[in-house]
Amino acid sequence: MSQQVAQRYVGSPIKRSEDPRILMGAGTYVDDVKLPGMVHAAFLRSPFAHATIASIDTSLARKAEGVLLVYTGEELEALLTPGPYGLGLIMSMEKPVFSCLATDKVRLVGDLVAIVVAESRYLAEDATELIDVEYDELPPVATVEQAFDPSNPPIFEDLGSNILVQSEPHAFGDVEGAFSRADHVLRVTISQHRHQNVPMETRGCVASYDPATEHLLMWSANQGVHIHRTTISGRLGMDPEKVRIRTADVGGSFGLKLGGSREDVAVAAASRALGLPVKYIEDRYENLTASGQAREESFDVEAAYTDDGDILGLKVKMVMDAGAYPGLAGALPSMIESMLPSAYKIAALEFQSTVIVTNKATYVAYRGPWAAETFVRERVIDLVAHELGREPFDIRMQNVVTRGEEPTVMITGRSLVGVTVRESLERLGELVDLPGFRLEQEAARAEGRYLGIGMASYIEAAPGPKMPGMPLGREEMRMELAEDGKLIVFTGQMPHGQSHETTIAQVAADEFGVAFEDVQVVFGDSDIVPPGFTGGSRSATMAGGAAIMTARALRAKVLETSSHLLEANVADLRIENGAVSVVGVPASAMTLADVASAVRQPGRLPEGVDGELKVENAYDGGSGGWSGGTHCAIVEVDCETGLVHIERYVVTEDCGKLINPAVVDGQVRGGVAQGIGAVLLERSAYDDRGNYLTATFMDYLMPTTMDIPNIEISHLETVPLDPDVNFRGIGEGGMIVAPPTICNAIEDALAPFGVRIYQQHLPPAKLLELIGVIEPE
Amino acid sequence: MSETVDILLTVNGTQRSANVEPRKTLADVLRDDLELTGTHVGCEHGVCGACTVLIDGEAARSCLTFAVQVRGSEIVTIEGLAEDGEMNPLQQAMQASHGFQCGFCTPGFLMQITALMNENPKPSEPEIREALSGNVCRCTGYQSIVAGVLRATGQSPISDSTHQE
Ligand code: FES
Ligand code: FES
Repeated sequence: MSQQVAQRYVGSPIKRSEDPRILMGAGTYVDDVKLPGMVHAAFLRSPFAHATIASIDTSLARKAEGVLLVYTGEELEALLTPGPYGLGLIMSMEKPVFSCLATDKVRLVGDLVAIVVAESRYLAEDATELIDVEYDELPPVATVEQAFDPSNPPIFEDLGSNILVQSEPHAFGDVEGAFSRADHVLRVTISQHRHQNVPMETRGCVASYDPATEHLLMWSANQGVHIHRTTISGRLGMDPEKVRIRTADVGGSFGLKLGGSREDVAVAAASRALGLPVKYIEDRYENLTASGQAREESFDVEAAYTDDGDILGLKVKMVMDAGAYPGLAGALPSMIESMLPSAYKIAALEFQSTVIVTNKATYVAYRGPWAAETFVRERVIDLVAHELGREPFDIRMQNVVTRGEEPTVMITGRSLVGVTVRESLERLGELVDLPGFRLEQEAARAEGRYLGIGMASYIEAAPGPKMPGMPLGREEMRMELAEDGKLIVFTGQMPHGQSHETTIAQVAADEFGVAFEDVQVVFGDSDIVPPGFTGGSRSATMAGGAAIMTARALRAKVLETSSHLLEANVADLRIENGAVSVVGVPASAMTLADVASAVRQPGRLPEGVDGELKVENAYDGGSGGWSGGTHCAIVEVDCETGLVHIERYVVTEDCGKLINPAVVDGQVRGGVAQGIGAVLLERSAYDDRGNYLTATFMDYLMPTTMDIPNIEISHLETVPLDPDVNFRGIGEGGMIVAPPTICNAIEDALAPFGVRIYQQHLPPAKLLELIGVIEPE
Repeated sequence: MSETVDILLTVNGTQRSANVEPRKTLADVLRDDLELTGTHVGCEHGVCGACTVLIDGEAARSCLTFAVQVRGSEIVTIEGLAEDGEMNPLQQAMQASHGFQCGFCTPGFLMQITALMNENPKPSEPEIREALSGNVCRCTGYQSIVAGVLRATGQSPISDSTHQE
């Protein structure tokens, strides 16, 4: 069965199949979809963070040129089935309950107040300006203090307060023992600031309801068509079988486009009401203001450590700001808690969390949503090192676990099998001359130049090691041999930059025995592809594994069928180079196209032999495993301007066997770039009245070619855990570990000023403040 | 109906006409009226560069340009780069360098790079970075794009990964 096929494609930087269409301008992004009779939606959005809607008058807008439909929140609600939206539905969130458009009150700047559909987007936007709304402002809840203040009204009445979830402290290991044995306890508050995904393509959809068949076709930019179908059909009160989601090219997402949005539901309802296709493409102002934001958490940390530099235990209290209309946030504290010890021998942890709601955009998934665990831990390690006057690298080496030695399980219970953070640190030690750098740093300081080195390590469950009671998921795949001999692969993955058309084809081609060019990967149609989604760095293992298992099953079927055509024993047959042949008898070769057409001819196969060359299979993640590694940055801080120049950035990482090294490197570099942006530039800023301050690209600054250095990458590919599948996910790692890497480097550079860094966002003004050049705000 | 005007343009070497509102941007006219959806709109306020096209040989932001302003001009869009339906050398170099991921920023980069290469056939890495500093890519971290330009201009790529050669 497990006949070995020559590895021809896996491991090589094959050119992407996606590229010709993308590079020639022939992609199909959602805004490129144009359906006959299509009309356009625009939303009226709230200018206030928190206000009741006293009255709303849409009469003028309804009469405006080209306008076909205007709905207020109440009018739309009558056409929908109440229930949770987006990931809230997938996670079965019970509270808070909210409507599609605002009915009683608005809960953030940019909240949805009304939908207008008109003959063009220009006309729809014109008409939104004719809607007259009277608001009565309520006290805004824009900060943690305001959320905890019981005198402020609850944003969602059914929560009774502005606290979404509050956990009891959870203790793992002997926390009190660890703290009483410690020589020192570090007490700090460490925070991450709100920033956001900002895919270059905003969100959008084209909904087309056919009144004759009562079916809805929806084109949309998303990360999984079935999740989209569930979340849309749920709110429309439709049988999911009557909803078809189609998606072709997606211009990035990074977690944002997971699950149907309130906008999507409103547009679909408008299409159903009109019986016309309706397009809505979010503009950038809407995207920055209201699509979703991420990463606003603060941690009170106590770290117990010894004179020798052993980190014995942590006590952590987290507050997370979920914004308004919460979805994912409630699920994150347990992930952060369980990942905090990571690859270190931290034997005790106490963790308590509170998630609040505020009048800000919804907290959404963003590339490594639980990454706060890495930021907090890797900052604490450096802070401990500074307290002890030790090299942070040495503290890491001293505390990191060693493969095959105790502990083999994190104190929070997660298996550490196959973790290679120690190896990644060792590799980094070879690539970066740390003692040499310290000399250079000293010489530079003598000239008034401030160089610093920082590193940080992480592991990611991508998909995670197999553990009892914790299934890794189930990835379905379908394959068939088309009549022309091509291998057609149907996947639930919904690539949005990850190059799955290429990587899945590489795996399938090798396993099945055909040329890469003869594999076609089909995705993005809920009527055709199996369930699935792209996210959480799952696809390398899950879709890679599903491709191996499914190709193997189809190969067995093709060989079985061919044995009748070739009158040979199955055991003597091979598929190689797109042909089936009897081993050692090349003249017997029958091309796959010949096989595929022969089985379709009557009489070629014996009675009762299944000539359908199709299989469905599913993969359970096998032994799973971790991705992980260590990043290192060398920076120079200009103490007059506060600007940070990254001189060198080195990645040592282990995501197992690489399917396509160029794709992997692209994922690593793209993630690092977002992490650099997060620290040096990006912030989703609000004032304390909940006004959003960064609604354009002039205010929300993203890294450009001038900010991101060339990034050196060294792959370890160390540990095969599974007999078949040793690809592991790498999509999120860069974004998870780059922020602490950069912060650690900056703190090191500013050591002569005694600077300690507790907040992740370090734009020039903040650095000048830390150095003491300017006064704090 | 709002007042409209007739405009004539040369787009990718072909005479095109459209009847448009004066407030309609060149990006929207290309995409809606001329059905050339290769040009992308990433911000509509002139910062991201996704909408970049060549207007009379110069790289320009089609989201900040009204179509009526460029009557009679020669426009080149991403669809105009291919030669006989095949990728041109820049496009081939970008594929070989795995320049892009999601592809949304891509038309703007390729047009900006085309303008750069017309002016400077062998730009250095700093010159490339400077010339592309007004185009935002959220996926790649830029290194692969810079490598693609170096490759397209016959220069050796950045040596950057201990994994690859
Ligand atoms: S869309 Fe024109 S610059 Fe962003
Ligand atoms: S490739 Fe996705 S934005 Fe550049």
